[in-house]
Amino acid sequence: MGIHSVGTSDVEAVRRVLGGDTDAYATLVARYRDRLARYAVHMLGNREDAEEALQDAFVRAYRSLERCDDAARFGAWLYGILVNRCRTTGARAAKRGRVFVRDEAALNGVAHASVAEQTEGEDVVRWALARLTPEYREAFLLKHVEDLEYEEMARVTGAGVSALKMRVKRAREQLQAILREAERV
Amino acid sequence: MFEPDEELIGRVVRQLRRPVTVDAGLDARVMEQIARLPARRPGGPARAAWRWLTRPRTIRLSPLGALAIATVLVAIVLWRPDRRSGPASARAFGFVVVAPRAATVSLVGDFNDWDAARTPMQRTRKDESVWTAVIPLTPGRYRYAFLVNGVSWLADPAAPAARDDEFGAPSSVVTVGGS
Amino acid sequence: MTLLLAVTLVALQAPAQGVDPRLQRLDSITRPMVAALVDSARAAALPTEPLVQRALEGATKRAAGDRIVAAVRRLALDLGHARDALGITTSPPELTAAAAALRAGAPAATLTELRRIRRESLTVPLAVLTDLVSSGVPVDSAAAAVLSLAAKARDADLVEFRRAVERDVALGAPPASATAAAAAAFTTADVQVNAGARQQRPGRP
Repeated sequence: MGIHSVGTSDVEAVRRVLGGDTDAYATLVARYRDRLARYAVHMLGNREDAEEALQDAFVRAYRSLERCDDAARFGAWLYGILVNRCRTTGARAAKRGRVFVRDEAALNGVAHASVAEQTEGEDVVRWALARLTPEYREAFLLKHVEDLEYEEMARVTGAGVSALKMRVKRAREQLQAILREAERV
Repeated sequence: MFEPDEELIGRVVRQLRRPVTVDAGLDARVMEQIARLPARRPGGPARAAWRWLTRPRTIRLSPLGALAIATVLVAIVLWRPDRRSGPASARAFGFVVVAPRAATVSLVGDFNDWDAARTPMQRTRKDESVWTAVIPLTPGRYRYAFLVNGVSWLADPAAPAARDDEFGAPSSVVTVGGS
Repeated sequence: MTLLLAVTLVALQAPAQGVDPRLQRLDSITRPMVAALVDSARAAALPTEPLVQRALEGATKRAAGDRIVAAVRRLALDLGHARDALGITTSPPELTAAAAALRAGAPAATLTELRRIRRESLTVPLAVLTDLVSSGVPVDSAAAAVLSLAAKARDADLVEFRRAVERDVALGAPPASATAAAAAAFTTADVQVNAGARQQRPGRP
């Protein structure tokens, strides 16, 4: 699948924004918001941080739009900015001691479901993701959830293709180990 | 129940691929933040005007005419539309070379497509051997050289040399800063 | 010979994009090869304008086609390495300056460190580093000096620093010590240079 912009529409919108039509940027925000949100939420583990990173990425992209060398690849370029933002936001959140937090409601007084149910549950997957090294999580999400080709991942992350392949492999191994461990508890 | 590894990862991926929605107010917040930024200058008509001004000219100018053009260039410099260099503004830069036996001298470089017709230099006074040209430059690093009589290459003796002399003819470098 | 063959194959497979009309100045054998390199750079989200300018420089200097292709290819690789060192949101002028610095022998770690310590554009500090090396300053002395100034010095101060070093070297000082001395002087004196006036008058850049 990869990151495919909707061809001329992105080019046209970028052209209009660069020409001074600020409102045209809203089209791009609406177009990419949910797709980028999915990556940010899984990467950072909570909605609040994800929305902060997302908003930040959109504003930065607008400010440096002239630097987008090829408007047809706007989506991929924007993606790269978001990946960077998530790295910064993630580092900041870690310093604040904020880890992956579930809903307050879910935390308060919910009886532990049986192991089998937990294994199926969303929370377990998110918890397992949280335990991955950030680099591995990033690579795993970009490859398996966002469906990027390795060449595109290399452009977006700045890492080499073989390094990325290794990270994805390690991520899969770690996830399997974590989830099996959860099953045994 | 022990699930094969592939299926385990497959399940994880399927779950993670489910669409995620964010707060509907995000779009509005982004546009609000953008609205507070300084307005973007339009690129269309301004860029066309710039191209008209800097297109190659074959007219030979008197020194006075050259001075007039230089003044106009400097004035226009303040709103030169930038090509992919962000909100930086251009500044007038003067280039000077001494070439007593030259009939023509051109300034060529990364800023004018190395086109010898674009920036012919002018003598300062009819009997002087000093040639000058003034051009606007946005922040960046530019290789350039002087082309004398259409055939001889002169680097700028007062400027740093370009390291890569890959084409067998010397070049110099000028760096324009932002501050 | 092998390089030419490889580039030719790339040229044949390259997707048909609009070729920059300025490349018409290249001969019919060189043009598609350079166009293919420009396309690859664009696909890799690297700036293409420096590559076009390098090709045009070669054309104006009447260089042989294979030299032009080699020069463009080398610059494309340097731009890629520059981006690896500085990150994907680096501006094209910064990447161009960084590519030159890497080609001059500056270690990638120096570039990354510069990015870490300086908030403003890296174009001028990188250019100053490269120019110092061109004047004969050993690359580690140049890198150390620029790093020591980069956090606080304005662009104009860095240019003035470079001029000071070149003056001293022209007067016979050993390049490494001239560099260290000038850097120390700038750090302690907090020199405010009115370089704006210099730029408005016609004068040597």
